[in-house]
Amino acid sequence: MPKQINVALIGNPNTGKTSVFNALTGLNQKVGNYPGITVEKKEGVCKLPRGVKAHIIDLPGTYSLNASSLDENVVIELLLNKKDKDFPDVAVVVSDVENLKRNLLLYTQIKDLKIPTILAINMSDRMKYKGIQLDIPFLEKELHTKIALISTRKNKGIDQLKELIINFKELSTEPCVNASEVDSNYFDGLRKAFPNQLLYKLWLVISQDVNFGKTDRNEVDVINSFKTKSKADLKRLQQKETIKRYQFINNTLKIGQTIDLKSAKDLRIKLDRILTHKVWGYLIFFVILLTIFQAIYDWSSVPMDFIDSVFASLSELTKNSLPQGAFTDLIAEGIIPGLGGIVIFIPQIAFLFLFIAVLEESGYMSRVVFLMDRIMRRFGLSGKSIVPLISGTACAIPAIMATRNIESWKERLITILVTPFTTCSARLPVYLIIISLVIPEGRFIGLSYQALTLMLLYLIGFGAAIFSAWLLNKILKINSKTFFVVEMPNYKLPLFKNVALTVIEKTKSFVFGAGKIILAISIVLWFLASYGPGDEFNNAEDIVTTEYASQNLSDVELQQKIASHKLEHSFIGIAGHAIEPTIRPLGYDWKIGIALVSSFAAREVFVGTLATIYSVGSDEEETIKNRMAGEVNPITGGPLFNFASGISLLLFYAFAMQCMSTLAIVKRETNSWKWPILQLTIMTAFAYVVALIAFQVLK
Amino acid sequence: MNIIIQNILVFSTLGLALAFLVRKFFWKPKKASAKSCGGDDGCGCH
Repeated sequence: MPKQINVALIGNPNTGKTSVFNALTGLNQKVGNYPGITVEKKEGVCKLPRGVKAHIIDLPGTYSLNASSLDENVVIELLLNKKDKDFPDVAVVVSDVENLKRNLLLYTQIKDLKIPTILAINMSDRMKYKGIQLDIPFLEKELHTKIALISTRKNKGIDQLKELIINFKELSTEPCVNASEVDSNYFDGLRKAFPNQLLYKLWLVISQDVNFGKTDRNEVDVINSFKTKSKADLKRLQQKETIKRYQFINNTLKIGQTIDLKSAKDLRIKLDRILTHKVWGYLIFFVILLTIFQAIYDWSSVPMDFIDSVFASLSELTKNSLPQGAFTDLIAEGIIPGLGGIVIFIPQIAFLFLFIAVLEESGYMSRVVFLMDRIMRRFGLSGKSIVPLISGTACAIPAIMATRNIESWKERLITILVTPFTTCSARLPVYLIIISLVIPEGRFIGLSYQALTLMLLYLIGFGAAIFSAWLLNKILKINSKTFFVVEMPNYKLPLFKNVALTVIEKTKSFVFGAGKIILAISIVLWFLASYGPGDEFNNAEDIVTTEYASQNLSDVELQQKIASHKLEHSFIGIAGHAIEPTIRPLGYDWKIGIALVSSFAAREVFVGTLATIYSVGSDEEETIKNRMAGEVNPITGGPLFNFASGISLLLFYAFAMQCMSTLAIVKRETNSWKWPILQLTIMTAFAYVVALIAFQVLK
Repeated sequence: MNIIIQNILVFSTLGLALAFLVRKFFWKPKKASAKSCGGDDGCGCH
């Protein structure tokens, strides 16, 4: 018995595979990418009885081993490559008790690869509601396996699954279906040509359009040289194989599964009728959105204020406790305010992902995809484009990667180009701080103006995305065919554990992903704001003291004048003044200009940058929001962040392509610099014009 | 003495921060099996 067993979790999408993974691994899991590609790789460790450990890989959801997307490539490549360090000792095929027939297709294919396979039938708690009964001993006999009847919701059957994993050597590797019967002559020839190879592996290598990257290249080439049939003939054989498998599955389930429709209590159809209704469906979705944005504001205000004041006190404490000097200033004025600028948004980001996770877990998100398909089609996109657009509310990078399951190149390209318009979580800190400064706190029918503004910004982003899609659909002359299929999973109460793990994982990646960049940029900015060339900077004290000698300023006022003079003549001040003429018509000063430039690395850097710039030279304990609210426009004498400049900034961030990483991903996904450069130029120019008009009209 | 140490710490931290940013945005390790999915290159994803 090996001390560590490699286990692959395989299954159709929406079978609760990730819930099984979470139940087996708990917090002992990590998320990464498969080497060389950007498909998410989830792996974890599960402690089994008798001191044995299982290394579990949660493979991307797939309907069969006939791969049509990059995600499915990953599954097939792993199962065909025995040399892979992750090659499973045992495969666990997770299936949904309500969709056994469809799920068993994949199961029978994996069995043909002679990998010890366990069938885990999930969502068993729904059997009584659906009137389903299973003859487990019969199914085990026919399917040549052991079955674990599990319910991750009720935490049932997981121990039985662990027992089966630990005893995987007792599992039969006998196939369920003899696939070679679909063309005996062809398969006999194949068997004779490669007597030492597994027949079904040979067939998969020959019949798939997979770009085998990890499997031995020579081996694949030799096998492919046996393609004695045309591509169309191979496809026909593949279809025959699928029909044969379904015949076997139908015959097995005819005896092994009984469904009493009379005892089924199905709310699903009734709920679908309302939630996907052409009027009520949209209205309900709109109300849900409103509720989410209101809750984000109402629930997070207390923890946010607390975090803000903690960082202000921490900065003050550092200054008072450590010996005076440049490094102490760097920590108190650069690092702490910079980090505070990201940590403060944890409550709102966590609440946003909490709501998204609940909507996904409950099965409602698929209904939204279905609803939106009606709208998307009018703009030259399919419902599949809505998945990247909704994922874009978290981050444009995974969203752009999610376009890989769009078959039509034109639709995929358009989706890639317009996805950065959707409001990502990096825009959220910018929106929240500006909204809190320029939008009053009053309410309209119980909804705060601030929450309504935030929702409006999300709608503007989405509107800009679909309008651009419509425009691109008219301009781009690319011929391609498309189809849209979406699976509607059953409605279910979200599992707390799944939701919590999603929130923790997403919030962690937001804080640590952006946090490191913000910390580094805060350090560089503090340096640029605290050092400068020439006499104006080096002799600031003498210059300011002489200039204000006749005004009898207090010590505090004089120190503020010196700090302000130094900042203006620091490296950052000189750079800021150089770009100021370009941004002045938009209502911004040079400090905002610096924040705009630095936030090109990542949008959320904007708040941290302003927090750092405004902290340099200040001795007072002050929160980020108060520092920004106290900034004065030197020309008008009024607040720098007023309604006109605030709206202008919000619109600039809504439309501008302020993200280097997204541009890099677009370049990789389109394999050309042309598209990211066009995207950057058009989005930034559009953002500038809209922000300019907004400020000039509102000022 | 304190000022010299603090200045050394400041410039060391600045160097680390700059090195991190350069590595993050301008330096990418070569990946052996990286593939493009941008065109009809038979990768099977479009």
